[in-house]
Amino acid sequence: MPLPFIFSTGIEEGLSKQASFSGGSEIDHLSDYALYVRGISKTFSNGVVANNDVTFGIIKGEVHALLGENGAGKTTLMKILSGCLKPDRGEIYVNGVKTRISDPRKAVQLGIGMVHQHFTLIPTFTVAENIALVSSSSRKLELKAVEDKVRHVSKSLNFEINPNTRIEELPVGARQKVEILRLLCQDVSILILDEPTSVLTPLEVEDFFRIIRQLKNDGKSVIIITHKVKEALSISDRITIMRGGKTILTIPSSQTNASELASYVVEGFIPNLKRVPTARGEPTLSVKGLFIKGDRGEMAVKGLDLSVHSGEIVGLAGVTGNGQKELVEALTGLRKVEGGSISLKTCDLANKPPNFVINSGISYIPEDRMRRGVILGMTISENLALKRIDKEPYSKKMLIDKEALDKSAKELISIFGIKASDPCATAGSLSGGNIQKLIVARELTNAPNIVIAEQPTAGLDVKASEAVHQKLLDLKSKGAAILLISADLDEIMKLSDRVLIVFGGKIVGEFSSDSLDMEKLSKLMLGSE
Amino acid sequence: MIEMALVVGLLAITLRTASPLLLASLGETIAERGGILNLGIEGAMLIGAFSGFLGAYFTGSLVVGFITAIIGGILTVLLFGILVIKVNLDQVVSGLAINLLATGLSLYFFRIAFSQGNFPYLGQLIDPMPIPGLSGIPIIGDILFNQTIFVYIGLLSVPLIYWILFKTSFGLRLRSIGEDPFVASYLGINVERTRFISLIVEGIFVGMAGGLLTISMFNTFDTRIVAARGFVAVSIVILGRWNPWGALTGSLLFGFTQALSLWIGTFLVGPAAPSISQLLSLLPYVVTLLALVVGGRKVRGPASLGSPFAKE
Repeated sequence: MPLPFIFSTGIEEGLSKQASFSGGSEIDHLSDYALYVRGISKTFSNGVVANNDVTFGIIKGEVHALLGENGAGKTTLMKILSGCLKPDRGEIYVNGVKTRISDPRKAVQLGIGMVHQHFTLIPTFTVAENIALVSSSSRKLELKAVEDKVRHVSKSLNFEINPNTRIEELPVGARQKVEILRLLCQDVSILILDEPTSVLTPLEVEDFFRIIRQLKNDGKSVIIITHKVKEALSISDRITIMRGGKTILTIPSSQTNASELASYVVEGFIPNLKRVPTARGEPTLSVKGLFIKGDRGEMAVKGLDLSVHSGEIVGLAGVTGNGQKELVEALTGLRKVEGGSISLKTCDLANKPPNFVINSGISYIPEDRMRRGVILGMTISENLALKRIDKEPYSKKMLIDKEALDKSAKELISIFGIKASDPCATAGSLSGGNIQKLIVARELTNAPNIVIAEQPTAGLDVKASEAVHQKLLDLKSKGAAILLISADLDEIMKLSDRVLIVFGGKIVGEFSSDSLDMEKLSKLMLGSE
Repeated sequence: MIEMALVVGLLAITLRTASPLLLASLGETIAERGGILNLGIEGAMLIGAFSGFLGAYFTGSLVVGFITAIIGGILTVLLFGILVIKVNLDQVVSGLAINLLATGLSLYFFRIAFSQGNFPYLGQLIDPMPIPGLSGIPIIGDILFNQTIFVYIGLLSVPLIYWILFKTSFGLRLRSIGEDPFVASYLGINVERTRFISLIVEGIFVGMAGGLLTISMFNTFDTRIVAARGFVAVSIVILGRWNPWGALTGSLLFGFTQALSLWIGTFLVGPAAPSISQLLSLLPYVVTLLALVVGGRKVRGPASLGSPFAKE
């Protein structure tokens, strides 16, 4: 689709320069930019070209969305700007002055701070201690002064936080605020936020956007990394699209729309999920009055009931840490059940060992795919066969038949489109997305009765996600019962026939997919209803 | 009044027997707060004991012995530090290797320095130094203020180390490294340097803890002189929840049971007395084990304790 207006004169001068990058004269405008980078390239030691000649600029006082697929190079670019990675080539200008950003401290001194997807807070420290860690210059720990500053800055952003609370006691949304607070306490003027809403419920997202607008009013520049088109449109002044390690274009949010942006984010990608209408069958998995203890001995699941019928996808929505992890571990035989029942049709599954669960036809796509999904040091064909390695055709009379292993691996590799040079390569040599495909290939073949899919597409690009989604829908149409646990509400809504909301270790609400009330759902997720 | 004198004596001995453990566990507390589990503490104490003995024996000066003990402790812990911080070896394996090395080295040099069959003794020991004025206070004076320099240093270091760990920026940084060195490093904290500083401090304390065995307690050197006090100190750190006051409590518990078993031993008569008193000397270790079972089960130490930190 042509986009003549990006290059037209209707937009302010700096913007059109941004889009055209016609060397030379933009030096005059560099001072308009809080931050401007040119020709940034970064190739990782494993050969992945993450950034390829990237040019990008952020104007003072704007909210700028960096939109793109997973693997498009957004995070790499931002890690370069925040001093976490060193570029192979390229120039960085801060307020028009060419600089080198050697490390995160240097970036903060230049006024650039980043909130990573994995928070950089010490969980056992209080809010004030976490902030004192970077802002306290005196030998003696002046916690009182830090506490006052925390109160002052948080008040200016209209939220309350007790500086003496330990981070581990705070919900994820509040931890994110602490990260932002810490940057503000260091007088950062450019804030980079990496996928900030991925950990938030819809209501928290509203509150978060309010803070972003407040920051903008205070004259801060904000860069938000996101892969969600809608989000980019709703919060940002301008949007830069990255694809394949390059910036494709920069455009004011007011001059574009969702479908147009989507077509830039994934070139030529048209969503094409095929749904076969399926009748809901008998209950396959039923859980009644389940009680499970968490890691610290507290009751994490408190009398949970749920059922999944054959030919049905049930989505379990909820803020992380409300018993989902414990539930999944109990369902897969990894955690002891204190009370209640888990049954597959008529067969009791509570407190049975994992191999019993596996042999009953329960498949599990784990969230922590690197540690629970594969054994990185073993080959692809071994990993694919691992759950049935002691059975025909993989084993004959206690001996592993390597040829059968490789033959079946080659089939699965081609069916699931795993990018692997050789079935005998180690699983660790695959990229994250391909490791997930490997797990999906293993778990979704052999017609499972029940599939427990935990964050099945986290970190996957749109095409790989759709392949996984398609596979789940196919299995459903063949009569499998699927329990989908995801932090991504969009994913839950896209696939589920029913959505259950879990809070405090219990199911607190249920919606059918055609009667979803987002506001009610958010409140239920936060336990405020 | 005889009973009173006995109790006072028992408590005074408690402090004396607790002092090597207190010093060692204070040092280990600092190291572990920075995420370094130093099982080589046993070896570092042995080198401290040996270098202190050599220094005092050959110069005839206990002050020199005191200093050489500290130097020996620092060097051993620093060697361990280089292995785990610079070379990035496994902390547990490196610690055990240091212990083997320390036993081998001290035995080797002991044989070189002194001919076989010759049991060298120091002419003098670091004796209790009554504190003028305070040592005259009834009961308390005899227990607290008529002790060796090592007891005073240990007791005074408890609040000092508490203050450093919890009331200074250095302590906050050190603890953050113990929780998550990657985050600490990201926040601009120099993980290597901070950890080396903590290990030097540990070396000073562990050197003193070893040195006091030869130049204040036993008068001579033997490769078995440390008698697992280093390992006990490691368990006291857990028992004391990585807090100097806890280290003090744990050390006193061990010291008290040791003093008690010695005291009971003095009442034993008859042919079985030696074997019973041998059995009694197990008591402190049993009590430590029991205390760990009771008090050390659900404690949470520094989150990254013992795990490697390598920047990519």
